[in-house]
Amino acid sequence: MKLLLTVLVPLLFAARLHAEGRVAPILRAIDDNYKMKKDVQAEVTLTQQRAGQGTKIIDMGYFRRDSDDAFLIVMKAPENEKGNGYLRVGDNFWMYRINTRTFQHINRDESIGGTDAHSADFETRKLDELYGAVVDSSGTEKFSEEMLGKVPVNRFEVKAKVNDVDYPRQIYWTRRDNNLLLKQESYSLSGTLMQTAYFLKFTEIEGRFVPVKQLFIDEFEKGNKTIVEISNIVPGKLDDKLFTKAYLENLSK
Amino acid sequence: MCATRCPMDLHPGQALGAIGDRNFMLLIRLSLRNLLRQKRRNILLGSAMAIGVAILVVANSFSHGISDIMFNKIMRYVTGHVAIRFNERGGVMREIFRDRELAFDALKGEPLIEEANESIGMFARAIGNGRSDNIVLVGVDVKKAGKRKDLKEVEESFRLVEGSWKDVENPAIENPVIISEEKARYLNVKRNDVIRVRFRNMFGQDQAARLTVAGIMRNDNIFMQPVVFLELPREKELLGYRPWETASIRLTIKDPQKNAAALADRIHARLDNPGPAVIYAAASGRAGRRPVVLLGVKSDDESKKKISGLLKLSAGSFEKVFKKDGVILPVPLARTLGVTAGDSFTVSYTRKFETGPREASLHVAAVCGAGDYPGPNVILMEDAGFYDLYYEDMPAAPVSGVEPYVVPADGPWGSLVAPQWVLLKRTYNTDDYRKKYQEIARNKWKGTTIDVSTMYETASDILKLESVLNIITISAVLVLFFIILLGVVNTLRMTIRERTREIGTVRAIGMQRGDVRDMFILETFFLTLFASTVGVLMGFASMKLLSLMTFHPVDNPLGMLLVNGHLYFLPTFLGIAGSVLLIIGIAVITAWFPARRAANMSPAQALGHFT
Repeated sequence: MKLLLTVLVPLLFAARLHAEGRVAPILRAIDDNYKMKKDVQAEVTLTQQRAGQGTKIIDMGYFRRDSDDAFLIVMKAPENEKGNGYLRVGDNFWMYRINTRTFQHINRDESIGGTDAHSADFETRKLDELYGAVVDSSGTEKFSEEMLGKVPVNRFEVKAKVNDVDYPRQIYWTRRDNNLLLKQESYSLSGTLMQTAYFLKFTEIEGRFVPVKQLFIDEFEKGNKTIVEISNIVPGKLDDKLFTKAYLENLSK
Repeated sequence: MCATRCPMDLHPGQALGAIGDRNFMLLIRLSLRNLLRQKRRNILLGSAMAIGVAILVVANSFSHGISDIMFNKIMRYVTGHVAIRFNERGGVMREIFRDRELAFDALKGEPLIEEANESIGMFARAIGNGRSDNIVLVGVDVKKAGKRKDLKEVEESFRLVEGSWKDVENPAIENPVIISEEKARYLNVKRNDVIRVRFRNMFGQDQAARLTVAGIMRNDNIFMQPVVFLELPREKELLGYRPWETASIRLTIKDPQKNAAALADRIHARLDNPGPAVIYAAASGRAGRRPVVLLGVKSDDESKKKISGLLKLSAGSFEKVFKKDGVILPVPLARTLGVTAGDSFTVSYTRKFETGPREASLHVAAVCGAGDYPGPNVILMEDAGFYDLYYEDMPAAPVSGVEPYVVPADGPWGSLVAPQWVLLKRTYNTDDYRKKYQEIARNKWKGTTIDVSTMYETASDILKLESVLNIITISAVLVLFFIILLGVVNTLRMTIRERTREIGTVRAIGMQRGDVRDMFILETFFLTLFASTVGVLMGFASMKLLSLMTFHPVDNPLGMLLVNGHLYFLPTFLGIAGSVLLIIGIAVITAWFPARRAANMSPAQALGHFT
């Protein structure tokens, strides 16, 4: 579920990046791309493989409004999750449970639906404010140019500037030509590799590149991985009534 | 007259004199001697009563034992007798207070406090040898525990089958832990094996660590089986606490049932009315540098409305002011610094716990041109952003020569300025406590909330459970006693019928009606008293026998009712005395009606009675 953030944030990307430096400019460029220009809706499928537990497929509808960073997630599959949903408007974040037909307020550090995602993961904060370049003892950024398969990329390391982000250290591989993020390694505070993400396939929507297929590998608990596929992305003004409790309730009727 | 020697065969003069004077001692003697006349019948009836009393004593001691286990063997270690909980920025799991010394100052001069410990627990995902499961990492202060007079109790609750508690502080071992036997079995680990864990630290960052199994414990309580003990300083470090920060505090106190609530009230009063959170800083802009006072302002809807009404902006907007990191300056200060809305400037301040100043870049959201501004050198900052700065690097007190900032007492700013902490109201039962934490979860407060509560208040449901168990027990025993009391009534009726002529005789020689009635009531009273005494002894014997039985519950919640695999009973004087008095009272009331019937017989009728 935490992947959801990583999956959905690129929907907000704009691919106009500046080639004016190394780590900081790339982070700033990514931040610029986070700025949403239009409301958006999409369908998201998560295929989760858990060691010894088989495969679970989760389908959901995602609606986002740019004016106040509101969003709505409606679960469509599996059957036992169908009709459940998550709604955030302003500082309020609710979870809706169809079997009890109740809304539950979610705290920013509370787990969502027993997954590893937290409400705080959905807060939109600038990457540039959260992370900065890692520099070695000589003050040089840990930045290199290399090949990721056949693609020329920039590889650079960032560390958290604040202490309330999921991963205090990350390594990014971004395309040299357009700064698209292709691979991301996330490390724990103690330096253990926790997760590797691959952004496998992009599609261009209104001049922005959206990663429509992504692979997340759990490096800590081997055998766990998640494939995320985004489809039917439709940018454009969404009706305000979508972002209400009543709408979520009515969906279930 | 009596065929054998009758207890009522008294010398007429002696009888008349004694009974006429309502000699109570004589009535007692008569009653006791009458009891012995029908030994078999009374022994049978008394046995039934004794069994009833024994059941009541055992059941009462068992339900009291459950409460004792829940409070003194679980809650005491989880929350302490009194708990002081800190939650920063609405984070239910973010139990941290940035100034340890200040927090412990509130506990000084309290002789009732035996121990004050930091209470840290964290959910984690553990990977053993080919198996993974969820655990709860709990910090334990072994050095302190070793000195505790109640170490024996700790060892009883968490019996080590391998290793020793001292191993937890062994610096030669990488993160040594004590793990439950069940969890070790599930994770397929043995002593000296390594468990890898992942968890979120205090600030939500992913953290991973390697833990070494230094000891394996046995605990019958299923809820304690996921607990993995790690040395407190190591756990604090893993969770991201700095040395001057503290987790929530749990207190162990003397005679908690009597003292806990009063002590909690006193600590609560000491923490009441926190001052404003103030950062004494130097601000630098394009045009100059100037000492300033940085204050947070509350950003709830009501405060926003009040602040908007108090200030008139010459530049910028309130919308930007109330966004995170929004900053507002008065016009003269903005001029001195050479900034206006949209510009940035830096502030620098001395930190309380670390060397070197803290510098931060602030963005001017608005400039105040007129209105009731709280001071010429004051910079106001939206509270969420302000607390980020304030808590991350606690500011030092103002240097000598700098007047401490005082919020104008008669103005509106006292309620609008962000305080050092928010003290939550005292609550006295589980439901109110739950509601209070639901409020925290709604992010109502941006600052750190402090809650002071006793375990009897946070877990008042346990007391309810004990009451319910007692009611169920008493109800069951009353049904049993109803059957026994039918025997009492029947026995008395038979006795009265058998002794009708005897009653006629004593009435004829002067015994009063009331004395006849009292004599029969006293017979029942003594029968019940002796039966109850035997019942209490039987109850204690039964408890001893039951507690000798050993149970080995695996993954069974009923295991929490055991201590070291044995049933646990806690008899109390009040519980036993109450049970005995209840039974005697019921028996005496039941005996009163047939006794009155016997007393109301006329001597002539009674003497002429033939069976």
